[in-house]
Amino acid sequence: MIDEDIAESVLDSAVSGCSPLLAEVRMERSNTRGLAVKGGQVNSVMTFSDTGMNVRVVLPSGIGFASTNGVSKTACAELVRRAISMAKSCRRRTPVWLSKEPPIRTNWEVRQRKNLADVSLEEKTKFLQSVDAAALRTGIKVRGRYFELKDYETESYFVNSEGSRIRSVLPRLRLETYMIVSSKGETEQSLKEFGNAGGWEKAEEWDLEDFMVDEVKMLKKMIDKGKKVKPGRYDLVCGSEVAGIAAHESCGHPMEADRILGREMSQAGKSFITPAMIGQRIGSVYATVIDDPTVPGSYGYYAYDQEGVRARPRYLYKEGVINEFLHNRETAGQLGLGSNGSSRSETYMKEPIVRMANTFVAPGDFEDDELVGSIREGVLMNSFTEWNIDDKRYNQKYVSREAYFVKEGEIAGPARRCVLEITTPGFWGAIDAVSKKVGFDAAECGKGDPMQSMAVFTGGPMLRLRGVTLK
Amino acid sequence: MNELKGIAQELLKAAQAAGAEDVIADVVDTTVNQIRFSNRRIDVSNWWNEKHAVMFVAVGDRTISTDLRNLERASEAARAVVELAKRSPRNKNYFGIASGRFKYVRSRADKQIVNLRDPSRFVHDAIRGAESEGAIDVGGTMFVRREGRAIATTGGALGVDEAASIDLSVRAFSQAEASGHSLCCTSRLSGLKAKEAGQRAGELARKARDPVQGEEGKFDIIMEPLLLGSLVNSTSMMMTALRVEIGTSMFANKIGERVASKEVTFVDDPTVDSISRRAYDHEGVPTRRNVVIKDGVLKTYLHNTSTAKKFKTKTTANAGPLVPTLFTLANQPVPFHCVLVPGDWKVEEMIADTKNGLYVNNTWYTRYQNYGTGDFSTIPRDAILRIENGEITGPVKNVRVSDNMLNLWKSIDAISRDAQEVLWWEEATPPTTLPFTRARNMNITRSA
Repeated sequence: MIDEDIAESVLDSAVSGCSPLLAEVRMERSNTRGLAVKGGQVNSVMTFSDTGMNVRVVLPSGIGFASTNGVSKTACAELVRRAISMAKSCRRRTPVWLSKEPPIRTNWEVRQRKNLADVSLEEKTKFLQSVDAAALRTGIKVRGRYFELKDYETESYFVNSEGSRIRSVLPRLRLETYMIVSSKGETEQSLKEFGNAGGWEKAEEWDLEDFMVDEVKMLKKMIDKGKKVKPGRYDLVCGSEVAGIAAHESCGHPMEADRILGREMSQAGKSFITPAMIGQRIGSVYATVIDDPTVPGSYGYYAYDQEGVRARPRYLYKEGVINEFLHNRETAGQLGLGSNGSSRSETYMKEPIVRMANTFVAPGDFEDDELVGSIREGVLMNSFTEWNIDDKRYNQKYVSREAYFVKEGEIAGPARRCVLEITTPGFWGAIDAVSKKVGFDAAECGKGDPMQSMAVFTGGPMLRLRGVTLK
Repeated sequence: MNELKGIAQELLKAAQAAGAEDVIADVVDTTVNQIRFSNRRIDVSNWWNEKHAVMFVAVGDRTISTDLRNLERASEAARAVVELAKRSPRNKNYFGIASGRFKYVRSRADKQIVNLRDPSRFVHDAIRGAESEGAIDVGGTMFVRREGRAIATTGGALGVDEAASIDLSVRAFSQAEASGHSLCCTSRLSGLKAKEAGQRAGELARKARDPVQGEEGKFDIIMEPLLLGSLVNSTSMMMTALRVEIGTSMFANKIGERVASKEVTFVDDPTVDSISRRAYDHEGVPTRRNVVIKDGVLKTYLHNTSTAKKFKTKTTANAGPLVPTLFTLANQPVPFHCVLVPGDWKVEEMIADTKNGLYVNNTWYTRYQNYGTGDFSTIPRDAILRIENGEITGPVKNVRVSDNMLNLWKSIDAISRDAQEVLWWEEATPPTTLPFTRARNMNITRSA
């Protein structure tokens, strides 16, 4: 159990010690379990429990953040002393401004139909071994076959000097799969993630055996029959996995207000977007991208962010127009706005910063096959392997894992490692049709220093892009 | 240190008494100060303290790793871990931990770093240094790290170690699209050159002013140590045995083969005085200098005891952390401090010797189409300077290196005599000591 009295006492000490603009205390307790299976055999088993807390003190002179594992009176006193002295040592000439937010008193929890803690190691091992067996049943040579499963529950108690008191329980589970398919002396790789908030019932919804069979057969087809795309301009249909990575990389990240204001400048970088660009066109009217932490069961789910602000959907690009940045209280205060609940941290050990949750392209009104059926000469890119984007989030590259030539509205054979290297306005401006059905993928988003790996969904429907350059 | 050693021994004893056959108790007490700055001011000052014990237990072929975060009742916790191990599934990939009579060369942490209370003045020095070169915007991080460690194992390891280091990263902008990045990493406070790091970032930002669109094609690339540090991140992980075994390594089945140009000798050496010096690996085996690539030929993979037995060789003392993190494969060997052995070139000579090239400060987002073949791309950032006929003719922007990583290492034909310690964010890890290098004829692409 979390000792809430200690959190209250630490908050009192912080407030009485320095009369801050804001003081926050977060206490967390978590249980984590991990299992890795390699080539059908257990490779490692891991489990640990953790309890710890942080104190964040905001003074006009700066922000001090201190955290420690374990909770004791001595440790708590040291935390408060450190946080206050750190905030004072910043000595900012321009004071910190935080957005005004209402105090929240609430409890929230993601319920589990089948508790993660109750699933035995034996059951989890069998679960992963059945996935491995599915890959082998294809009769295709599959090397690697490394599966890493992790699940955890995090119980949290958050208090701040403005009166917020928030209790939460958030269980999550995640699977990472690696495999290499070989044929005719060549190989293709598959690195895939699955994740949700919830209990073990979510793992049972992943349909991993079907995924594995389809993925292995597809990669063999790409090796055996895939042909390179002749460089040139084509129409392109992006599957939901590709739509999702584009939504995350070239909409979500450049719309993070801490990047825009420079706070991540020496690590993840800045953004090509500036505060003055709200209202400017970035894409076609079909380009609407939403970041929504409240998608039920999603990997990036939360009800309140880590500054105690209620989560809600954020329309980042709306009908092709730059609409709303992702904010925490610090960035919103700097721009004279309210926070939209985008403050997250990986654990109590690390400072909460502006993060995405579940970022996806909004659905349109086409059927999937209508998009392919409407193309005379082009490519359908269902999924990607290599990808990257520059630190201003303007130049991106996606290389296909699964792609097909499209001729006269029909699939015309596999296209191997098709390359889309394009600017952000080039991508979002080329969309002229969007399908109805949105698909999601789990991912871990990296940002912050020290790096904070954050649970997110990426997603979208199928998108049709006209006249883009493919290689 | 004696307290940590006592905890490690207590954990070991309790686990053995509860029936464990193999035990590793790795106790760590870490304190880190970090200052993050941007827009020429400090944004936040962070302080973290973690005192915990990473424990590995095997009962027969049933194994478990855990991180004991509460050390108040260590013996009780150790006994509980053994009970968990007994209920774990059989691990056919486990081949034991190292055993022997181990002796350690213990290093002493710099007391000046250990006792440093307020590092903010160095941050202000760095900012002023960049501004003195014309920077209009400066940001970065400064870490002050202190760590005490102790280990006890059933294999006979019993050791203590300590470390302290500082790493400062400064990125300066002279325009919205003109930046330079510089580092200073040191295990001695006397080695911290904060103002100079700022000046170097500012100088590069000034040289990067008014960049023009880069061109596609083949270019020789002169890589600063910071850039190479990012490429060493994925390259060195592919030298580890687990990555080789599961096929996500371009080095698989290439022992004895040429994997780099003859100029390249690549070692992992945590025994040298550096920010990542350590006395023993996570099994308690004394660390050593491992030559992974000698004169371009692959000599070994990096091993722990289990992977070494599987590969019919001996551990290279590269056992990694026993508790995995996301994107880190569990219980795999890891590189600790990679060193590219310096050559005899001066950077000016490299530039003068290059007809058609790019001088590149930094890169990020290196991703692979296929780890098995090494097909990859990476995105240069900060100063990218065009070289024509032996002279720098101006900055460019918006380019990407789209090539093959084995080809890059095979194309290195010039290595500088000067080298720098590099550690930056998650990109340029593990810590390295790297010179400037030139790779011939790399493929450059850009957005259409």
